[in-house]
Amino acid sequence: MDPASRPAVVIDSGTGYTKMGFAGNVEPCYIVPTVVAVNESFLNQSRSTSKASWVAQHNAGVMADLDFFIGDEALEKSRSSSTYNLSYPISHGQVDNWDSMERFWQQCIFNYLRCDPEDHYFLLTESPLTAPESREYTGEIMFETFNVPGLYIAVNSVLALAAGYTTSKCEMTGVVVDVGDGASHVVPVAEGYVIGSSIKSVPIAGKDVTLFVQQLMRERGENVPPEDSFDVARKVKEMYCYTSSDIVKEFNKHDKEPSKYIKQWKGIKPKTGAPYTCDIGYERFLGPEVFFNPEIYSSDFSTPLPVVIDKCIQSAPIDTRRSLYKNIVLSGGSTMFKDFHRRLQRDIKKIVDARLLASEARVGGEVKSQPVEVNVVSHPIQRYAVWFGGSVLASTPEFFGACHTKAEYEEYGASICRTNPVFKGMY
Amino acid sequence: MILLQSHSRFLLDTLLNRLQNIEKAVELDYHWAEFDDLRYHIQVTMKNLHIVLISVSLPTPPPETVFLSGLPAGAIEAIKAAYGSVVQILDPPRDGFNLTLKLNLSKLPTDEEYKHALLVKIASVREVVLGAPLRVILKQLASRTVASYIDPLVALVHRPKESFFLIPQAEKVTVVFPMRFKDSIDIVLATSFLQEFVDARRTAGLNNAPYCMWSPTPPLELKGAPDEALSVNAGFITFVILPRHVEGKKLDRTVWSLSTFHAYVSYHVKCSEGFMHTRMRRRCRILIEALDRAKPGMENARMQLNRSFKRLVCH
Ligand SMILES: Nc1ncnc2c1ncn2[C@@H]1O[C@H](COP(=O)(O)OP(=O)(O)OP(=O)(O)O)[C@@H](O)[C@H]1O
Ligand SMILES: [Mg+2]
Repeated sequence: MDPASRPAVVIDSGTGYTKMGFAGNVEPCYIVPTVVAVNESFLNQSRSTSKASWVAQHNAGVMADLDFFIGDEALEKSRSSSTYNLSYPISHGQVDNWDSMERFWQQCIFNYLRCDPEDHYFLLTESPLTAPESREYTGEIMFETFNVPGLYIAVNSVLALAAGYTTSKCEMTGVVVDVGDGASHVVPVAEGYVIGSSIKSVPIAGKDVTLFVQQLMRERGENVPPEDSFDVARKVKEMYCYTSSDIVKEFNKHDKEPSKYIKQWKGIKPKTGAPYTCDIGYERFLGPEVFFNPEIYSSDFSTPLPVVIDKCIQSAPIDTRRSLYKNIVLSGGSTMFKDFHRRLQRDIKKIVDARLLASEARVGGEVKSQPVEVNVVSHPIQRYAVWFGGSVLASTPEFFGACHTKAEYEEYGASICRTNPVFKGMY
Repeated sequence: MILLQSHSRFLLDTLLNRLQNIEKAVELDYHWAEFDDLRYHIQVTMKNLHIVLISVSLPTPPPETVFLSGLPAGAIEAIKAAYGSVVQILDPPRDGFNLTLKLNLSKLPTDEEYKHALLVKIASVREVVLGAPLRVILKQLASRTVASYIDPLVALVHRPKESFFLIPQAEKVTVVFPMRFKDSIDIVLATSFLQEFVDARRTAGLNNAPYCMWSPTPPLELKGAPDEALSVNAGFITFVILPRHVEGKKLDRTVWSLSTFHAYVSYHVKCSEGFMHTRMRRRCRILIEALDRAKPGMENARMQLNRSFKRLVCH
């Protein structure tokens, strides 16, 4: 039977989480942390023994290669035993450990999705700044190890835009603000094509918010066990953080009515099993504030996200700018903070209006320019918008034609994976 | 050890998740696929949130295998025996599927442990349905009551248009798998894997495991099988199952291991390829490093040029 008649497999591997599932569905099957726990004790053991036992060494290598876990299981293993080392295959949106990445995919395919990779087309994602070489590596692994019949590597921002496209109307022009775990990008897209020269990156993403929350809690002296504090900070962030409209007002609110705003965190110490509690205070709104006032967190980078978005649109071709302002799409887990889109929309609008006023003043108030419509789009599937966009595109009939096939790979080699055509459904 | 579990992980997770959030009142409609061309569909509608419809589509059987009204022989009885009154079989099944089960969540047992075991069993619907004919024969072996009406050669589907063969006898059941792979590298790896598999069986620790054998040509037992069933590219592997391999609890495991043997081999082949790639990448990196070190004039260049240029050269 033709693999194109079966649903394609869509895997969006991010720095923090991997979303995987079958095309045509509205949700990914699994969202698991992108992490591999490898047992390296075998390797170390064999190194200490004499050279002569190469068989033992070889077997140890084989065992180490089979003894690994991914996702939540990996985190659990590393917590409960010290023989497992965690390896994060992706950092800042780029794959930097291909061995782990290959193992990770292997487990995703065989143990989580339980499918035969020879039976399905695959859609994978990459960050807009990924080098073509990395696409070749991906192609090599997919075609040589897994023998996939067809592969398409999509830019995650384009997919996020495609996700918005079905929930509202047909619009493949817009700015995608993708704030994930390890990388934030502002990517303008016109008619399905990424305007590469205008992509802006922000060195602040979800992990930084977590670190900041952790730091605030530690400085206040909350008694969270140190080995657990990052995890607790992450959970606190995901459950309690929100975007405020003005920090000074927010501080006042908290001080006036602490009972209403201060939350409690209940946990259990991993070593002793004793329960503990701690307070969650200002970090609730200070966490997300790092996107709007980065100087509170980092001394190297101080441009607020709304300014970056504005700069990005201003650097795009002039005839696309208005439609870009009109469709600013959020994607990624770290845009999930309550009221994030409102604050963003308000701040961008402020910048745009100020510029308009200034230019009107420059020409002496003779010409009235049309106000610019600013629209930040937020939808409930933001967390996995990239995956959803992939799922939609991979279920169109054009998708199978746009894929690189195994036959092409064998004919021309891995270099075909460097480019992936934009296809109908994307514009 | 890399073994495939008998339950579909996603189906089990979905069912457990449903039970926990039953009052949240959300619809569910999900399609997914599994190895050997199985397809699943699960649906819950707003009309009745306690009713879960699970549909399964099976691989297309080859001509030598018989399906009765879309299902392997004995499947209906196996479903009834495994699930009791919690599950009803819908007739006809959903369009495009071989079987639709109607699961009533409110009829699940209250005992937590028992409930979980039952849900795992439901998530293992593949084993129950596709493994049904195999289970019948192995059960007869366990009780040593091989029926005389059974053909000397029984074909059972395990992959789309492919079957494996059973030769049931009173004291043993011989199982033969014709092995086929698509990719030329897979064929080579699988062949040597199977040969090593047979060798490994001879080690002392595995004395009680089923006897097994690999041959590039059809074993004598397959005389009478159709020609296309005998055209293979990775040989034939034969297991001899004795009554002690199917006693009590072992029966379920044996049924599962046999009916997914091909998937097991193919999973191993993929893992081996991944393993080799890891080694190849490491070797390649070491060679590049060695080449870089051997570049003439690098030492001088390093001293003369500024840093950014050096970085450019190295990458
Ligand atoms: N409800 C939530 N509120 C706030 N943050 C959240 C929420 N849910 C998840 N996050 C955060 O979002 C981040 C993960 O987002 P996402 O899965 O989009 O990233 P990624 O795709 O793995 O990374 P990237 O795209 O940068 O490579 C994590 O830092 C997580 O803590
Ligand atoms: Mg992402």
